[in-house]
Amino acid sequence: MKLEPRFPDDVSQEDRELLERRAARLREKPRESEEESVLWAAEFPVGEDSYALPLDTLRAAVPLKMVTPVPLSPPHVIGILRFQGQILTAMSLSSLLGGRGWREDPAVLLVVDPGLGGRLLALDCERIPKPVPLPHALVEEALARATGAVAEVTLPGLHQVNLLDLRRLMDRRASEKRDA
Amino acid sequence: MLDPMMEQLLPGFVDECKEIVERVTDHLIELEKAHERLRFDDLARGLHTLKGSAATLGLAELSELAHRMEDAVLPLRGKTTALPGALTDALLKTLDTWMAHLRATTAKSELPDLKPSHKLLEAVRHAVQAIEPGKPAANNGKAGAEKRKPSAAAEKEKEKEKKSSKREREAPVARAEPAPAEPAAEEDAGAAEEAGSWRVRTREVVSLLHEVERLREVRLRLEERRRELERGISQLARLGILAQTAEVRALLMGVQRALSADGDEAGDIVASMEDELKAICTLPVRTVLEPLRRSVRDLCKQSGKLARLSIVGGEVSLDRRVLESLRGPLVHLVRNAVDHGLEVPDVREARGKHREGIVVVRVEQQGNMLFIEVSDDGNGLDLALIKQAARELSIVPGVELDAMAPAQLHQLIFRNGFSTRRTVTEVSGRGVGMDVVRSQIQALQGHIEVQSTPGQGTRFTLTLPAELGSSPVLVVRCGEHELGIPMPAVETSLLARSGELRVARTRVQLSHRDHLIPVQDLGTLLALRQPEVPHDGQPLLVLQSQGRRIALAVDEVIGDRELVIRPLPPEVRDLAAYQGAATLARGELVLIVRPDWLSGFEKRDASLTGTRRALVVDDSLTARALHRTALESGGYSVHTASSGRQALEQLRHSSYDVMVSDIGMDEMDGFELTLEARRRHELEAMAIILVSARDSDADRQRGAASGADGFLSKKDCASGRLLAEVQAVIARRQGAT
Repeated sequence: MKLEPRFPDDVSQEDRELLERRAARLREKPRESEEESVLWAAEFPVGEDSYALPLDTLRAAVPLKMVTPVPLSPPHVIGILRFQGQILTAMSLSSLLGGRGWREDPAVLLVVDPGLGGRLLALDCERIPKPVPLPHALVEEALARATGAVAEVTLPGLHQVNLLDLRRLMDRRASEKRDA
Repeated sequence: MLDPMMEQLLPGFVDECKEIVERVTDHLIELEKAHERLRFDDLARGLHTLKGSAATLGLAELSELAHRMEDAVLPLRGKTTALPGALTDALLKTLDTWMAHLRATTAKSELPDLKPSHKLLEAVRHAVQAIEPGKPAANNGKAGAEKRKPSAAAEKEKEKEKKSSKREREAPVARAEPAPAEPAAEEDAGAAEEAGSWRVRTREVVSLLHEVERLREVRLRLEERRRELERGISQLARLGILAQTAEVRALLMGVQRALSADGDEAGDIVASMEDELKAICTLPVRTVLEPLRRSVRDLCKQSGKLARLSIVGGEVSLDRRVLESLRGPLVHLVRNAVDHGLEVPDVREARGKHREGIVVVRVEQQGNMLFIEVSDDGNGLDLALIKQAARELSIVPGVELDAMAPAQLHQLIFRNGFSTRRTVTEVSGRGVGMDVVRSQIQALQGHIEVQSTPGQGTRFTLTLPAELGSSPVLVVRCGEHELGIPMPAVETSLLARSGELRVARTRVQLSHRDHLIPVQDLGTLLALRQPEVPHDGQPLLVLQSQGRRIALAVDEVIGDRELVIRPLPPEVRDLAAYQGAATLARGELVLIVRPDWLSGFEKRDASLTGTRRALVVDDSLTARALHRTALESGGYSVHTASSGRQALEQLRHSSYDVMVSDIGMDEMDGFELTLEARRRHELEAMAIILVSARDSDADRQRGAASGADGFLSKKDCASGRLLAEVQAVIARRQGAT
């Protein structure tokens, strides 16, 4: 049995075609939504380069002034701070990445969850990061190439974003500490 | 059968009764030694509260039994004699039965028979009534009690009380009979207080603690907002349009004042909430230790030994969960000390010891570490017996056993199944105990050590982390840093006087109470500045730790605080200098320095001799960290300062090859700092590099005019030019001078 669409008699041919087109669109197999095909990341500059963290690892951005310096700590440790009842270590991301400075003094700390069993960390940052969508395909490609904690994602227009794997970054720091 | 509503109240009632029974037990043990009126009154009040509360909940049998306990005790009111031993025994046993009955009622399990307790109390009641005023009570009143018959008056009184008890049974929810005249008012107040208690789940309290922490952070942010506002107002003022901005500035200043008041109020609320929560979450250790007096007494009665339990530091407050887990191990260690450790009185006497042995439980909290010592002055661990038992139980191969040092043999007592007892008694001999004690302590992230000297005694030391407990800390300032030092390590504080300091080429000593104590500078130990001799009037703290004393020079003594010391996060936890961190009233964290690290520093050298020295001046924490990283990678030893003033202070005492300073700093900028430094002849050889966020010719020229040797933008630093520039300017400067 063929189902005929029911139209009121006074519907013009033009409207009829429009409704047909809409119906055909709705009948189409839903395409993967943009949300599903991209990885949302928090992008921020470190010196001259652009870095990003998966957005779901970001917990908060807090003022850098809440940090208590820890004398005798390794150079990449800025200090400690309180966040929601926990004492966290604030670390210099630039130093962790082997960099030598910022274009401007960082004003905020990003509180991140590096996937270390719920333990949070704070990383300094020049500016509050902006959310950017990174195409999954490009991210996967970059991750496959990456050998360390940074995956270089090249976006259309050759803009490069260095996607950070915090867990690997921390593991590397821990192994350096052990070797020392 | 209990009313369902009353049944809901039972678990809380068990807790309440447990506390009362513990208190009554303590009083009984002490009153058995000597009469004390106030203690006696409190004992009577405790028994009366048990009776009244049980009646209120409809537990008629328990109310009746508590009533009989009162009957046995009250005739001794007003007398000056110690409690007869038989009466104490009977009451202690009855209290055990009372609690067992209450617990069984709550658990709906088989109820213990109360008749033997009634009989026991009836027997001793007569003995007590037979005691004449002023006549010392026989330690065992049983014989006399059995022979005497109650007087007619006593019979009449008994009849009257029976009627009264019957009334109570018939109307169980009604208030218990009138209390003895003296303690009634206080008791009612106490009962009301007890009735007002709640049962709360631990996780709910812990979650509340976290919320208070968050509130403290909000308070801290309020303060930050206020400071930002203050900066905004002063920037407006600098614009030079005072008339045009008068209204808006007045408005902003009003908001700033209000923010400040709100912040202060929020701070007070947080502090008070934290105190209240701390009181809820912690209990004094004595709540676990005091009941051990009863265990010691009972064990002595069983074994014919004489022992006294001495508790030192029972007032230290600890997390209730930790305390509950410690109860078992402590009971075991104390019972072991009496059963295994102490000798019988005759043997002790023959060995020249007091007939009564002593078991000491000493509790001490140092920062976030808790130390509990359980020691006795008994026989000490018998190494021959340990070896023999280990051989028989095949715990260690014989050859290894013969080669073991005493300390290694001591460790065998923690092995599963180990016991030196041939026979199993109620107290020991099954070989389960010390291994369980050790695993329970390990479960609390602690450890246990044993030390023993033959013929002199044994000491077990339990070391545990104590997160929730608070401890006194002396907060001091060193440069821009506030640091805490655990108070138990601080012997005294004084002001430095040059006449009391002995300055040699490599060390400074303080002459203090006929002793020479090495002087250390806290800033030097923490690598914040170079070694310096304390100036007149500089605060010195005399610290003692692990048998070593030092005089520690600090910049300011801020005051003592009661702080909760928490462990540092893993990234900095293994820094030997710190015990942990604590939160001050305004919400900022303060690092707590380890006293043993300070006192053991004498042989370590914190000075910067032999390397090139750099001073980094920047008000940005993160910029200081980065410059330090870069310079340390080039072999420089780096000190830091967060302001121009602080840098000048450092330069007064220390010399550096190079100073790297930010330009844009509040109060004194990099140009002013350079000008000030260049005015000092002693700093002539020091190279100065200015760093700026802006790369402008005007800044470069101004820098050169003020005496700087180099200029870098932050962008230059980011691209790695700092180290090269530092080396170049040092070479230029030194060539020029």
